[in-house]
Amino acid sequence: MQEFNITRRHFGLLAASAAAAATLPFAARAAGGMAVAATFPGNWEDAYRTTLTPLVKEAGFDLTVAPAMAQDQLAKVMASPGNPPYDTLLMSPGQMAVAIENDLIQKIDPSKLKNWSLLDPAFQGEYGPTVTVEVNGIAYNPDLVPAPKGYRDLFENPAYEGLVSWTGFASNTGVMAYSEIAKIFGTGPTDMEAVFKLFKEHPEQLKGVVASTNHQMTLFQQGEIAVFMCSTGNVAKLKALGLKAEFAQPETGSPAAPVNIHLTKGAKNPDAAYAYMDAAISKAAQDKLKMPPTEMFPTNRQVELTPGIEAYVKREQLATLVYPDWAAINKNRAEWIRQFDALVAG
Amino acid sequence: MKASGFPYVLPMLLLSVAFFATPLAVLVGFSFIGPDGPSLHNYARFLGDAFNYRVLINTAKLGMQTIASTTLLGIPIALLYWHSGKTARQVIIFLTLIPMLTSNVVRTFAWIVILGRQGPISETFVALGLAERPFTLMSTELGLVLAMCQIDLPLIILPLIAILSRTPVQFTEAAQVSGAGPWRILVTVLLPMMLPGLLAGWILVFASTSASFVTQAVIGGARNVYVPQLIYREVGTLFDWPMASAIAVVLLLSTGILLVAMTTISRHRRLVGHA
Repeated sequence: MQEFNITRRHFGLLAASAAAAATLPFAARAAGGMAVAATFPGNWEDAYRTTLTPLVKEAGFDLTVAPAMAQDQLAKVMASPGNPPYDTLLMSPGQMAVAIENDLIQKIDPSKLKNWSLLDPAFQGEYGPTVTVEVNGIAYNPDLVPAPKGYRDLFENPAYEGLVSWTGFASNTGVMAYSEIAKIFGTGPTDMEAVFKLFKEHPEQLKGVVASTNHQMTLFQQGEIAVFMCSTGNVAKLKALGLKAEFAQPETGSPAAPVNIHLTKGAKNPDAAYAYMDAAISKAAQDKLKMPPTEMFPTNRQVELTPGIEAYVKREQLATLVYPDWAAINKNRAEWIRQFDALVAG
Repeated sequence: MKASGFPYVLPMLLLSVAFFATPLAVLVGFSFIGPDGPSLHNYARFLGDAFNYRVLINTAKLGMQTIASTTLLGIPIALLYWHSGKTARQVIIFLTLIPMLTSNVVRTFAWIVILGRQGPISETFVALGLAERPFTLMSTELGLVLAMCQIDLPLIILPLIAILSRTPVQFTEAAQVSGAGPWRILVTVLLPMMLPGLLAGWILVFASTSASFVTQAVIGGARNVYVPQLIYREVGTLFDWPMASAIAVVLLLSTGILLVAMTTISRHRRLVGHA
């Protein structure tokens, strides 16, 4: 048998070659540099990577799409102030308020965005453009349960018993639903004592509490649950997977949350970040992102709505959606999270 | 003069100081940051809440339940290995190691299918007439213990196999010749012989289970809260890092005390003598 021998000199050469090889990808990179963009995991991540990467490349930059939930994005940027792991963040107004308060994001220069003028003024935020509006409601499996009329129905109609799943107050989707339930059963959107009392009176509802909407989608696929609080995007994804899923607009109105891209303070490559923002609000990108499985509501005026999106919401309905008071939510959120977690754990 | 071995361990020592001791010191330091300067505020807040005590107890209980179930399953598998031929031993080792080659996340999600309403456990019970209708073990402590048991089983089997590999099978024959029955052999010969391996396995299983954030969150759901979830909540949702550090230190100390106790027992002179 032939023996395998390696001299110290050969080993050194091998190590040097490996180190040189590691630098090769840099040579292949675009001259303009790279933007590291945080996006929500799952549907968003896939769609943004496939749709926006070529557009950013055309502008002379590279794009790395890094999946992270909005709360995780905040936690990671807070962990390294001045040296953020992302150039841009993707989040709703609730997290945006926290980011501004903690000096994590900066105001943008709209003159660097060619597509800025194609957004309605409501979508032209001083801290970054709105790329879509997530319309929230109730996802249900029509084979297992009737279409819910609203949140009250889920607690009072025995057809839903043991089949509804909820998340904690850390989830934006969850907290928006709870604000609506507080209006129905309490004195106003921040009367969470009424919500906690309601759950105490319906302990079967507490059995279906899980950590996140992504987790609920997995359970929905497995037939473990038949109802959960969702965005239209969640239902579009489930339908694209061939599952029986429908979206119900609550009779009290659909809570909605704009989703914005923000430039981090200390972003390593602001030019690449602007190229990414511009791509995300371009007609080319939003024409693709409005299609299944993402079905994102386009904020670019030139993009026509699909019949699928119009079934959920039309442009003229945007103003009638329910936009939560995030300042009030953020003020109370920590306490609500702790109280609800203790309630759920019994 | 005999050369000192110190230079050989120096790189490892430096790495440990840089990447373990220093971050740990930072973590401990963070835990004392209070609203008005250094204080025990976070510890007082954590220990002043009865809910947190329950979470600590639940975490320790989960570790103990997993230890008990992996022990009950691991001992027969290790004994089977001990009495098997060369090929069968290789098969057992392969089957033990193969789950470890799969990501913990993948194994956890596979358990959603197994524990669900349409999963094999529910369907078997319904088919045998032991349950009237399909049921789910998701978001239950029993479901979580079952999943943790499968995930951590190799951690107890491997130390047992290591002990038994060095032990002649003739030990049991000698006991039989002396007139001992199967149960007496198990209790007076095999278990004392395996105890150091069991203790090593228990330490690994306990440490793994009490820190298994993904499995606890996915299988246990929100109803079963354990300490790692509390830490995640403070870091990722409430952004209260000093509080998260204090909880992490409490977890480290509470599990550390249990692990030190187990290690002390495993190093006891009488037990080491059996290995």
